[in-house]
Amino acid sequence: MAARVETPRRTPAPRFGLPNLGVGVGLRTTHYEHLLSEWPEVAWLEVLSDNYLHTRGRPLEILDRLAERYPLAMHGVSLNIGSTDPLDLEYVRELRALRERIGARWVSDHLCFTGVSGRNTHDLLPLPLTEEALRHVVRRVKAVADVLGERLVLENPSTYLEFAGSALPEWEFLTAVAVEADAGILLDLNNVIVSAKNHGFDPETYLRALPLERVVQMHVAGHTDHGTHAIDTHIGPVPDAVWSLYDRARELGADASVLLEWDAEIPAFEVVHRDALRAEARVARAAGF
Amino acid sequence: MSKPAAMPELERAQTWLLSVTTDPAGVSAGIRHAASLGVGVLEASELERLVTPGPRLTALERVAIYHEGYFARLVECLLDDYPAVAHLLGADAFERLAREYITATPSRSPSLNAYGRAMPDFLRARSEPWSAFAAELAELEWALVESIHSEAPSPLAPAALSAVRADDWPHVRFAPSPALRLLAFRYPVNPFYQAFRSGAEPVLPPPEPSHVAVHREGMTLFRHDLTPLAARLLTTLTRGTPLGAALATLERDSSPSELALVQSHLSDWFGTWLSAGFFTALTLSP
Repeated sequence: MAARVETPRRTPAPRFGLPNLGVGVGLRTTHYEHLLSEWPEVAWLEVLSDNYLHTRGRPLEILDRLAERYPLAMHGVSLNIGSTDPLDLEYVRELRALRERIGARWVSDHLCFTGVSGRNTHDLLPLPLTEEALRHVVRRVKAVADVLGERLVLENPSTYLEFAGSALPEWEFLTAVAVEADAGILLDLNNVIVSAKNHGFDPETYLRALPLERVVQMHVAGHTDHGTHAIDTHIGPVPDAVWSLYDRARELGADASVLLEWDAEIPAFEVVHRDALRAEARVARAAGF
Repeated sequence: MSKPAAMPELERAQTWLLSVTTDPAGVSAGIRHAASLGVGVLEASELERLVTPGPRLTALERVAIYHEGYFARLVECLLDDYPAVAHLLGADAFERLAREYITATPSRSPSLNAYGRAMPDFLRARSEPWSAFAAELAELEWALVESIHSEAPSPLAPAALSAVRADDWPHVRFAPSPALRLLAFRYPVNPFYQAFRSGAEPVLPPPEPSHVAVHREGMTLFRHDLTPLAARLLTTLTRGTPLGAALATLERDSSPSELALVQSHLSDWFGTWLSAGFFTALTLSP
């Protein structure tokens, strides 16, 4: 008689050595009070890194308390990875200190530049997607990882313009950066939808080109469609188009942590969390449960 | 469509885009102002040499999205820090003010936490009828921001006070909480701010000197109105002056009627300051 072989319980494979944290919510100040008084069940929270630097007060005190109860990951907008300014290594060291303080699972930022000549626009400005920019970004991602003491995770931004001299589509540029600099990818599905509308490409083309084994996190969010173009406003529930792309990403193998971002007209925490949990329901439905 | 320009080197392209999208005069003017950067685009009509048109937007409209986003984001940041100043001025006037501030004070920090720091001085340098009061109101609002971002250690423990021997009191120095800010105004700033927070519609008040202490305890911010005498004593103490010397200075600089007030209120003042956590430690001066 053949030995009975038990089917092992399927656990999400760690991506890139990083855990799949499940479905989380972006931490916003408007939810501090609810989180600290109700301690709702939520798989993890994404922290906007820059709000917790250059402070010694209340934001850090709150983050310390949340870090005791929830897994956290850090997400920033000021790494300025594509800028021709010298890398701000002091900023990277501050990120590392914050990561160690709160036990953040990973640190992410955007594939863009935010300023040059010492100025910070606090906006995610598009890079010319050229060989020169690729070499430049790869060098800097490696340098950041050296100071961080871990691999960097890079997000595809929403973009509203393209340079006439760009030589690569964004998905090829992001893939090349991730592979050559050994970086993780934060796949923002809403940004793919927004950029697809603004530049006229097929969102699935983007997904199919990415090394999905490097995707450690996915963002879902809402946007504002102006007809002629779309803006990444993080407003409202996640639209169907983004969820459909999420389903497609899962089918193609992007089995990674999911995070919902909601930044305009932010409703109660439960509303945001409930919308995020639609990700789990879609996975269950796709699996026939 | 114009002939594409050779792709400028990365630094030049970035400098150009930043310059155009942050130009206070708008994108078309920004393109003209950035002509000297050598990207091969001198006028808006030549923009497609550098930026492609989208499926439904012109190249100019695409750049304008970033221009609008830059100012909108920083205006929103200033509005978060200065809601009472925005109420005083009205939404449109505040946005105009904020845009001038953004142009005069570009961010050079990875964090926006301190971006609004220069607003009180920016307002003080203006000459509108409201600017002197608005500067003081901004000073109060910025003190609240600073208090949020400062450490607020545990208040001075009662045991530390009871351990002081009677003849040591003149030598006691109090360590102020890092989250404490003492403010002296020419206008009744805190009553205006309180009315604003309560949902009233306060209007520009006439001058009337006032003093306020801003402090944070745990998650909560507090504003304490101070009398002029209490403010003088508290200010001297927070500078590290021993209690005996601080009281002697107050006595020397006060009229007999003021001295009577000090004597009758001193105990209450200290009770309030200690329970509010204004001080976190005490030491004995040699």
